[in-house]
Amino acid sequence: MVITLWVVFTVSFFLMRAVPGGPFDRERQLDPQVEANLRARYQLDKPIWQQYLMELGRVARLDLGYSYRLGDFRVSEIILQGLPISVAVGIVGLATAVGLGLVAGCISAVRPGSMLDVSLMTLATIGIALPSFVIAAVMIILFVFLIPLFPAAGWGTWRHLILPGFCVGVPYAGSIARLVRTAMLEVLSQEYIRTAHAKGVGTGGIVLRHAMKLTLLPVVSYLGPAAAGILTGSVVVEKIFCVPGLGVHFVEAATQRDYTLAMGLILVYTFLLFVLNTLVDLSYRLLDPRVELR
Amino acid sequence: MEPATRFLRRTYRHFIAAGVALLFFGGAVWALRASSLPPADFTFSNLGEIKTVDPALVTGSSEGRVVEALFEGLTRWHPEKLTPQPGMAYNWEISADGLTYTFFLRPEARWSDGTPLTAEDFVWSFRRFLHPETAAEYAAELWYIVGAKKYTSAQIELGDPVEVELPEKPPGARPFARGITLRGRLVGIQIGPDLQAITPLPVLPQDPPSAASAPGNAKDEPPIYWVDVDGELLAFQKGGKTPGTRDYQWLLYDFANVGIRAVDRHRLEIRLRHPVPYFLALMGFYPFSPVPPHCVESFGYPEWTKPGKLVTNGPYVLEFRRIRDRIRLRKNPYYWDRDNVRLEVVDVLAVESYTTNLNLYFTGQTDWIPIVPAEVIPEIRRRCPEEFHSYPLLGTYYYLLNTARPPLDDVRVRRALAMAIDRKEIVEKVTRAGQRPLRSMVPTVLTVSIPEYIPQEGPQFNVAEARRLLAEAGFPDGREFPPIDILYNTSEAHQAIAELVQAQWQRYLGIRVGLRNQEWAAYLSSRRRGDFYVARAGWIADYVDPISFLDMFSGDSPLNNTRWNHPEFNRLLERARHETDPKLRLELLATAERILMEELPAIPLYEYVSQNLVRPYVRGFYSNPKDFHPLKHIWVDYDLKATIHRPKGLWSRSR
Repeated sequence: MVITLWVVFTVSFFLMRAVPGGPFDRERQLDPQVEANLRARYQLDKPIWQQYLMELGRVARLDLGYSYRLGDFRVSEIILQGLPISVAVGIVGLATAVGLGLVAGCISAVRPGSMLDVSLMTLATIGIALPSFVIAAVMIILFVFLIPLFPAAGWGTWRHLILPGFCVGVPYAGSIARLVRTAMLEVLSQEYIRTAHAKGVGTGGIVLRHAMKLTLLPVVSYLGPAAAGILTGSVVVEKIFCVPGLGVHFVEAATQRDYTLAMGLILVYTFLLFVLNTLVDLSYRLLDPRVELR
Repeated sequence: MEPATRFLRRTYRHFIAAGVALLFFGGAVWALRASSLPPADFTFSNLGEIKTVDPALVTGSSEGRVVEALFEGLTRWHPEKLTPQPGMAYNWEISADGLTYTFFLRPEARWSDGTPLTAEDFVWSFRRFLHPETAAEYAAELWYIVGAKKYTSAQIELGDPVEVELPEKPPGARPFARGITLRGRLVGIQIGPDLQAITPLPVLPQDPPSAASAPGNAKDEPPIYWVDVDGELLAFQKGGKTPGTRDYQWLLYDFANVGIRAVDRHRLEIRLRHPVPYFLALMGFYPFSPVPPHCVESFGYPEWTKPGKLVTNGPYVLEFRRIRDRIRLRKNPYYWDRDNVRLEVVDVLAVESYTTNLNLYFTGQTDWIPIVPAEVIPEIRRRCPEEFHSYPLLGTYYYLLNTARPPLDDVRVRRALAMAIDRKEIVEKVTRAGQRPLRSMVPTVLTVSIPEYIPQEGPQFNVAEARRLLAEAGFPDGREFPPIDILYNTSEAHQAIAELVQAQWQRYLGIRVGLRNQEWAAYLSSRRRGDFYVARAGWIADYVDPISFLDMFSGDSPLNNTRWNHPEFNRLLERARHETDPKLRLELLATAERILMEELPAIPLYEYVSQNLVRPYVRGFYSNPKDFHPLKHIWVDYDLKATIHRPKGLWSRSR
């Protein structure tokens, strides 16, 4: 993992500096002297390999430094404030995705080819295809203006959590529904399911007790990387609902050349991705006894 | 499988499941921990997270709205007329030659922790502002002051009075205070073996390190500065490696020779290099507010800006800051004019999206949004015209032309392009917020504040003449016109305007123009490198004076990306800078603008407008050309607010 993080760090470091523009670009071009003072202050006047070593040293000591653009904050403060919020929204999103996806997928698989199946799968495709800002707009019109249940945007109570969480989850729910349907159909055609049928277990029992675990395998391997994305926040949804999570920072740090913040976010994302993928591998053992962990 | 292990595995699995669920739930609760906030008296949207609250480091209007509520300079602007009013200084005197300003500070002025605010605090703050280490972006605006430029740029010459800051701190100093400072005269600079000096100097023991090292290294060694401190000759070198030298932090032009001085506890004197008619107004601009020396020296930047540590001198203090959520301000009990500050708690929302802002406004979660999406303006005008405040701003939207690149190096081509733009169509079809077409670089609203200035207009919209000029330049009917493109930074509005101009040039001149869209940083970089033909630009003035719009086209201005360098124009600006007669000065500036509008290195398109949506019960909100709405003057009419049960808006009315 340390090696992965180091490689990601190195590649991002040099990529960031290779892009034109720098953190002090404004429309009002700075007086050359003022800009030189600024660069000296952030040690950007040093040769690039020296900057690299200095920054590597800092990051190794878990010090991500100060943000260039949000100068009053340390990168760690920004991440500590934003990550829990993104995670909270992400959890609602994950719950939506898994809940809706599983139910729709199972129902479709049990009655393949029926009207129900066709309409559920069409919905799933729409869910995947619709950009989140469209879903968000529909949700806002419905549940903010027509039926005033939820606040339009902002942060502070559980009610602020529902709409953004739902909008984050819907596209994933679509994908999960399709995954579950395919996997479930395959599992249901297996011998041991026929045995269970023969024993007289009902459809519900078969699906829930016997087929579910194997069906979950592809879903779980899909969820690992997806969860890393969901938990670190979605830019579009965060902008529309003004959720102060991490998603917007990703984009802004990149466009504003906030070197330190961008690096911090990349490392956090890499770390999350790594941890979640490891968890996915571990959970295979729980779901399928045939899988051996070595 | 043994029943016992099986049971264990089951409980183990349930345990994991329960643990994960608990973790998720706990996380959600933790993230929502600050849910029960008491509501604020007034809430407004500030379009994004601000960069900092340190006045010396801010730029940008979002930062300005917060900083002007927290801090106050020597003067402050009238909320409607923008004229300089007494701020921290209750009165001032200007010498007859317009060069020396004496400000009389309020004896009762205090910092928000109760410490008295003195002229020394201002001197300390201006010094910090100008110090190269602070790297204030607005530093150049204070270079009107005697010696200020030399101080910021750390350019010192032989014979200059200098101050040397040592790494050691005086005993008992605060952790972030400056080091011990020695004052003296720079008498010698020694780079390697070369010595430049004005008096005979003792020779350093050169033998050990520098002579022994390779000859090429001598040049890389930091220079040695010889300073005469009270008759004693001292040698300073960065790092202090050469024997006989001392290490230092900063070696700068002596601040005692910069024209900022505390005459006594409540009297501040500022001396300028040349008269600056807007200097009093400039002193009301938020970057030039004082900062508390005791607070900054105790915590250092950025730690001193944290809520709880931040000490301010304006109408409000900082209660808390949540990144990209909100900033809460509370009334400052030590503010000199506290009796006229009527809002106790103010929330500043960091909502960026225009549509989200509109949603918040119409659901009653914010009382003022400073901008609305262009598409809904006609609808808003129809539904709630009394809540929409649109007023011309001191800002120009224009297109830059790269005069170094053919065919734009030909003034006839530039004129033809300018004459083939129908500005009316732009403001009516695209921007739609009441922007006024503009044919001069200096926006016409300037004449509200300075009626003596007459903005000089460029050529009118005239297709026939444009086609004639283009033919004269060698491109009849646009034939063989080289491919050029319009560069703009990513934004729907800029794109829509560029598309319209593209269509107009095609329609009226028969030339094909490409569009080039780059995100902000890349766009700025292209502009600076001169890698563009036509580039979109906008300029909003920091102070009310025509020179703000003209200065950026002078040959040596870092803002001049057009490669246009006109000696006569430069000369007129330089003369205007030193002209003491205000009338003559404005005439010089008008002549300069006329040259600019004949040569057209830039084509002005329209004048910016403010687009504020403000609830009817909000009082003390005035429109002005700087879109400046000090919180100090805003208050809420609670009687009226009580009569409006629901926020009045698009949706609630249509239901």
